[in-house]
Amino acid sequence: MTTAGGQALGETDDGVGLSPEARGREPSAVVPRARRPRHHWVVRVTHWVNFVALGLMVTTGLRIFNAFPAFARKGESFCCYPFAGKPIPAALTFGGWLAGARNYHFAAMWLLFVNGLVYVTFIYLHGEWRDLVPRRGDIRDSWEMVKFYLFARRDHPHQGKHNALQKSAYFAMPIFGALAVVTGVAIWKPVQLAPLTNLLGGYVWARYWHFVVMVCLVLLTVVHVIMVFAVDPYSIRSMITGGYNEAKSPEARNARPFFWRRSPASVRTPDRGFDR
Amino acid sequence: MNRRRFVAFSASSIAASVLAACDSFGPKRATSLLKLAERKNEVLERWLFTSGSRNSVAADARLSGRAFPRYYISHSVPVWDEAQRGVWRLEVSGAVRNPVSLTLDDLMKMRSTTQKVDHFCVEGWTARAEWTGVRMSELARAAGVTPDAQYVDFQSFDSDYHESWDIDSALHPQTLIAYGMDRALLGPGHGAPARVHSPVKLGYKNTKYLTRIVFLPTRAGGYWSDRGYEWYGGV
Repeated sequence: MTTAGGQALGETDDGVGLSPEARGREPSAVVPRARRPRHHWVVRVTHWVNFVALGLMVTTGLRIFNAFPAFARKGESFCCYPFAGKPIPAALTFGGWLAGARNYHFAAMWLLFVNGLVYVTFIYLHGEWRDLVPRRGDIRDSWEMVKFYLFARRDHPHQGKHNALQKSAYFAMPIFGALAVVTGVAIWKPVQLAPLTNLLGGYVWARYWHFVVMVCLVLLTVVHVIMVFAVDPYSIRSMITGGYNEAKSPEARNARPFFWRRSPASVRTPDRGFDR
Repeated sequence: MNRRRFVAFSASSIAASVLAACDSFGPKRATSLLKLAERKNEVLERWLFTSGSRNSVAADARLSGRAFPRYYISHSVPVWDEAQRGVWRLEVSGAVRNPVSLTLDDLMKMRSTTQKVDHFCVEGWTARAEWTGVRMSELARAAGVTPDAQYVDFQSFDSDYHESWDIDSALHPQTLIAYGMDRALLGPGHGAPARVHSPVKLGYKNTKYLTRIVFLPTRAGGYWSDRGYEWYGGV
């Protein structure tokens, strides 16, 4: 987020009509290139552990859901689920049968919980939360990103580590994760922790919220994965080895989903050597 | 092989071996890990358990009535055949000073409790009914449970169905030996003449068609808990 004075001009100007060079971001301005990885190893490890944990929780959760793919209490009706009685396709589930799925679910929940705790604690202590926490102007910046993606704006808005849309998605992810844990605990122990379950509207509603939160997590994840491949596949490496070539960032490539060139003309040779 | 290719190669080999090792039931080797998690979860669940916890349902809440599911493991509804088996009796035995054997009349003469509570099924549904019966704690007092009784096995005449519980859950004030449901005598579809009913355990722990209550120093498994479902099954 540290920008030179010259870049502030580009920001207020929305950058329209200015080439990246004119905004003071020619390759020489990117140096000195730090040897620091784009993502700390703790972030990289927790990212992939979370991928496994979330995958297990969602697929086993859907298998559990299939034992009763509805929400209404017996003898009552439920307002807000139009697919009652229709099971989730078996191919999206894991665990084989109800007991198997439950055993996986109640084991993998610890992986999700502990991993999430490690991640949140780490980014709090290490400072990465600064890249994610919402700030004044994020809504305007998100709108600019939307305009850019819809070809209503020519140049990629200036950004820090993440663009404004990414930032809000990555900020929302741990919040939805925490909500998944809280709603899950509420339907795991609706009698021993009755006050929590009642706070969520009772068992039937708590189970519904648990489902809704899962849907939100899945949507965030699916959009995230699509955008990685459609906008910035170079970032995959940064989440594995930590290496990232700033000259290939979406901003440098002026990349829209599915619309970007491999080697933008504006990027010249100096960064080749950084390819580590 | 450059590094990038090496990483891609290793990643795909790992993915392939993971896929090869598991079907939708998961790899066999995960079983011990899942068992470990179940044991650790039980420690936490027993720590969370308090006898003061209550499942409270509003007095005017709707009952499930006929929508309350019926279920048994035998081929047909288990009905106690007096001509063949004699008068139905509930035996309370094991780690007790005075083993008792109660007829349905004896049971109904004991101090009764009526409560409107939720029934939590392992499948995820809930149902509501108003149960009438004798508190398990009352029966335990009548039989004089000895201090070495840490578990209770609830046995039935529905084939070999039984489920054993930890004593704390069994003595919870909302754990009933129920003979009435929704202000009528328990029907054959719901476990007549008497069954266990408690909101602190999942449905499958609540043995129906009850015949014996055995207090034990060690746990005795159960029909579904021996088939992969959690033994504790607490709510």
